[in-house]
Amino acid sequence: MQRDLGSFPLSPAVRVKLVSAGFQTAEELLEVKPSELSKEIRISKEEALETLQIIRRDCLTNIPRYAGTSESGKKCTALELLEQEHTQGFIITFCSALDNILGGGIPLTKTTEICGAPGVGKTQLCMQLAVDVQIPECFGGVAGEAVFIDTEGSFMIDRVVDLATACIQHLHLITGTHMEEEHQKALEDFTLENILSHIYYFRCRDCTELLAQVYLLPDFLSEHSKVRLVIVDGIAFPFRHDLDDLSLRTRLLNGLAQQMISLANNHRLAVILTNQMTTKIDKNQASLIPALGESWGHAATIRIIFHWDQKQRTCVVCTYVSSKVILKGTLKIFLLIFVTVTVFEHSKNLKFYFLTTVFLRREPMLVHFFASCTLRPKYLLKHRYGNFFYMLL
Amino acid sequence: MGVLRAALCPGLTQEMVQLLRSRGIKTVVDLVSADLEEVAQKCGLSYKALVAVRRVLLAQFSAFPFNGADVYEELKTSTAILSTGMERLDKLLDTGLYTGEVTEFVGSPGSGKTQVCLCVAANVAHSLQQNVLYIDSSGGITASRLLQLLQARTQDEEEQAGALRRIQVVHAFDIFRMLDVLQDLRGTVAQQVISSSGTMKVVVVDSVTAVVSPLLGGQQREGLALMMQLARELKTLARELGVAVVPTGIQEMIDIGIWGTSEERPVLEGDQT
Repeated sequence: MQRDLGSFPLSPAVRVKLVSAGFQTAEELLEVKPSELSKEIRISKEEALETLQIIRRDCLTNIPRYAGTSESGKKCTALELLEQEHTQGFIITFCSALDNILGGGIPLTKTTEICGAPGVGKTQLCMQLAVDVQIPECFGGVAGEAVFIDTEGSFMIDRVVDLATACIQHLHLITGTHMEEEHQKALEDFTLENILSHIYYFRCRDCTELLAQVYLLPDFLSEHSKVRLVIVDGIAFPFRHDLDDLSLRTRLLNGLAQQMISLANNHRLAVILTNQMTTKIDKNQASLIPALGESWGHAATIRIIFHWDQKQRTCVVCTYVSSKVILKGTLKIFLLIFVTVTVFEHSKNLKFYFLTTVFLRREPMLVHFFASCTLRPKYLLKHRYGNFFYMLL
Repeated sequence: MGVLRAALCPGLTQEMVQLLRSRGIKTVVDLVSADLEEVAQKCGLSYKALVAVRRVLLAQFSAFPFNGADVYEELKTSTAILSTGMERLDKLLDTGLYTGEVTEFVGSPGSGKTQVCLCVAANVAHSLQQNVLYIDSSGGITASRLLQLLQARTQDEEEQAGALRRIQVVHAFDIFRMLDVLQDLRGTVAQQVISSSGTMKVVVVDSVTAVVSPLLGGQQREGLALMMQLARELKTLARELGVAVVPTGIQEMIDIGIWGTSEERPVLEGDQT
């Protein structure tokens, strides 16, 4: 393999020694024995052995991979991926309109970011999801456990008790009409103690603890294989307070985002991150945008933004690709559709703005799904068109 | 280039290698660029032998020059232009994506880069009947969306399934994993004969910035080196295998530390056709 040594995850000291000894590609190291290598470049035998293992394992593509490698190593065709997606469940939120927009609920193997102004209900939603993930499969849930990483200290156990009790009652009401044995058995296990014991709670007080906790999560998850949801409540808080160096912050956040999506993919779970809002002042206009900067905007797969609109909560879904959400249509002009669904807290509907532009050509149409982030449609229109035409120009 | 070893070329024996190494000549480059008379004197080797070895090494390791006309002929015969499935975009790209080149799509969040990638993949798999490799690093690919794009092109379920089978999806969430995947691709394409369903024609990388941005900035220099490794891998892949490579990135001004003054912050953009 003509693979450059710089592309292997070797320690910098070893790499410098290898390069100064004249080794440049992996091919040259394939026949070298560890003892020879340690003598030649003056490193310890253990280091030489480790280095050669790293290089040889990646070079020998003909040998089938060990069972221990993660799932991200496997290639699959889109057809297999489709079959996997169909069998995958969603974590329902018990808010039917929100579930509808998301195409069934919070999807597994993806990261979802929930942004909103203070008091709009992000932590409440997270606590609800921690209970909902445990709903048994016969009721349409994923029957999994939850990990709750709290950085702001806003987790209230008595509220979770209320939510769990309400959920149990709801399921009892459903079985009241069905009376199947499967459902009865499942309900016996779905008790308050069980629900609470399956939420694993971690409290991280600052940025370092959070990063360490995320680093240790893969080991925890391999021991607790039933976990289907990881919630980080308040990912913005430690990063906005502790770090002054902005480029370091960007790097850490991007690294964290990649670790999260990798966890979500390898262990087939959903990751939920909660973000705060910040004010952006642009040409004498102030608007609320999600915190942590624009590079963080790409980090999560799905982004849900909550706003207050007088006494109602409104929700917007941005950057999400779901076949159930995107409209199909064949129109010859740009068609702008604003759809509004009103939310009331108790009846749990959802107010939802989205802006859709639909193109048609003689050939298959391309549907673009843009979502508004402000309550000012005109400004938004200019902004979104600006983005889109940037792409075309 | 390579380290000097005994079996590298006929005239090079083990004692020669040892002698040269003791004088500080460890690699082929060192030998080829050294003054052979001096080396012959210092190491006690015959000048003629050294010249012969150098000639063989040069023939073995140097790049062979082509003239421009040959390059043009080769390009004409080997380059294919793949339509993206979107007329306006094709017009912008001069009828489509060129194989042998890297085309990068850049945009801010939510502007539609993943959509374009999915559309390209669906079009190449279905209309052009070629294989596509989709390297996903941000979790943005949903097969149901691909199915929807295909359903718009054809109602026949067999065709849809066939097209979906031609799109291979790999997840690579960090840069070393991505480099592994690209290297594997080179290996498998080099060994394989053309498979029954067509050759690999497009490699989509969505997105490149997701794996590179955790490394850039601050005091560490390795991040830039890894980014250049990735860029070189992509370009070599495009050129050697005759595939069109489509990475996506985000548009952002980033500060890579003390390497630039504040006026000249470099924009993270890759190659552009």
